[in-house]
Amino acid sequence: MGKKVLLVDDDQDFLMATRLILENSGYTVVTAEDGKTGVEMAELEKPDIAIIDMMMETWGEGFSVISKIRELECGKKMPLVVLSSVDLQGPYQSFEPSDEFPRVNMVLHKPVKAADLISYINDLTS
Amino acid sequence: MSNSEYILIIDDEESIRDGCRQALERFGFRVLAAANGQEGIKIAREFGPAIAFIDLKMPTVSGMEVIEVLSQDIDDIVLIVITGYASILSAVESLKKGAYDYIPKPFTPDQIRAVARRALDHRNLKIEAKRLKEEKDQIEKNFITFVSHEMRSPLATIQQYMEALRMVSGNCLGKEAIDIIERCNKRIQNLEALVERWLDLSRIENETFASDIEPVRLIAVVERAVDEMSHLCQIRGIAVDNDIPADLPEIKGDKESLVRVLINIIGNATKYTASGGTISIHARYDDHYVSLSITDTGAGIPREKLPFIFEPFYRVGGKEEHQRGSGLGLTFCKKIMEAHNGTINASSEINKGTTFTLTFPR
Repeated sequence: MGKKVLLVDDDQDFLMATRLILENSGYTVVTAEDGKTGVEMAELEKPDIAIIDMMMETWGEGFSVISKIRELECGKKMPLVVLSSVDLQGPYQSFEPSDEFPRVNMVLHKPVKAADLISYINDLTS
Repeated sequence: MSNSEYILIIDDEESIRDGCRQALERFGFRVLAAANGQEGIKIAREFGPAIAFIDLKMPTVSGMEVIEVLSQDIDDIVLIVITGYASILSAVESLKKGAYDYIPKPFTPDQIRAVARRALDHRNLKIEAKRLKEEKDQIEKNFITFVSHEMRSPLATIQQYMEALRMVSGNCLGKEAIDIIERCNKRIQNLEALVERWLDLSRIENETFASDIEPVRLIAVVERAVDEMSHLCQIRGIAVDNDIPADLPEIKGDKESLVRVLINIIGNATKYTASGGTISIHARYDDHYVSLSITDTGAGIPREKLPFIFEPFYRVGGKEEHQRGSGLGLTFCKKIMEAHNGTINASSEINKGTTFTLTFPR
């Protein structure tokens, strides 16, 4: 069975599109449409990697999802990818966020090319 | 009529102060009084009155000085001059200094009430206009957020679907269908570029990039831009002649924005220059300015259209124009140059070519 990817995004369509790309490439995909469910899924499903949208609609809910996943036992080492379609203002503007923010492994801008997405996930989970 | 606002009377004659107070208090105004300029300024700073009546002829601090101070210090205050020697000249001068109206001595209670009422109306209009302007500024500021959320996100999702569609469909779609997908993609990319351009413009208008000012070597800017455009120029069969002297003085600015200005101008030049043409880039400087000029051997811009090319959405070729862009490219360049305290100018001759000149202060 392929590696398990958790997608957290409040845009249902984006979830669907990304799920199609990943499933087509042999990944198992679990999704969450809000931050709270996202954190629960991270704990329950123990994915190999989580891709988390910044969710600016709800004032950057993605930030708190990242913090909470990092607090989980299974989330300490979990590769985390931040996704955004808005300007990254604040701690994830660069790849080197300051120490008080939990580390993410990668920052991606929407949309992500299918081939790029697959290769990043491959790199981060191998 | 509002009676919660203060009216301040500054006059060294006690009878005038008392007369004004009685006339105005009867109509529900709250009246403050000061016997000289210093005291008047002190009271005004403390209470922020809506209106101040100021006698021009007072010992020590003159009415004219009081007007200057109050019009600067007190928001939205309306100043009215009381002029004892009915001199038009001094009244006119006080109006220049920021007074709104004047009332000659002697005056009746009805007269001063009428002047006060008019002043209050004026003040309310002024405040309303200010509020509207602030609201407009706020809307413009929010435009960035609006564009980011409401336009970028759905576009990104559509693009992601296109990626998924290509992947899911694999080899099962015919050439025609794949063609259609590619065409859709192209149009979506154009739309995305337009949204990005809007964001760039709003950002510049909000001066969010002022923090990135640092010494910039224009030769590096030109090299970067030429490098990025070299592939396109090659395809179009256009030569690029880059002739920037190595000793060109540095300017202060934001390198990335300037690279994009150059890319815009070179990009335009490639659109309107036929194969076999040349784009040449020169620089010059004196003690005060550094300038870059980008000259093409293209179609040129008609003289009557030159003044408008920096306007948003203006198209030299009109609606029939074959070369479609966002219509914001040169507007973007102009804003960037203005943010550098510089200028951008164009000169052109039909069928000979166009020169864009960027001038920066040293």
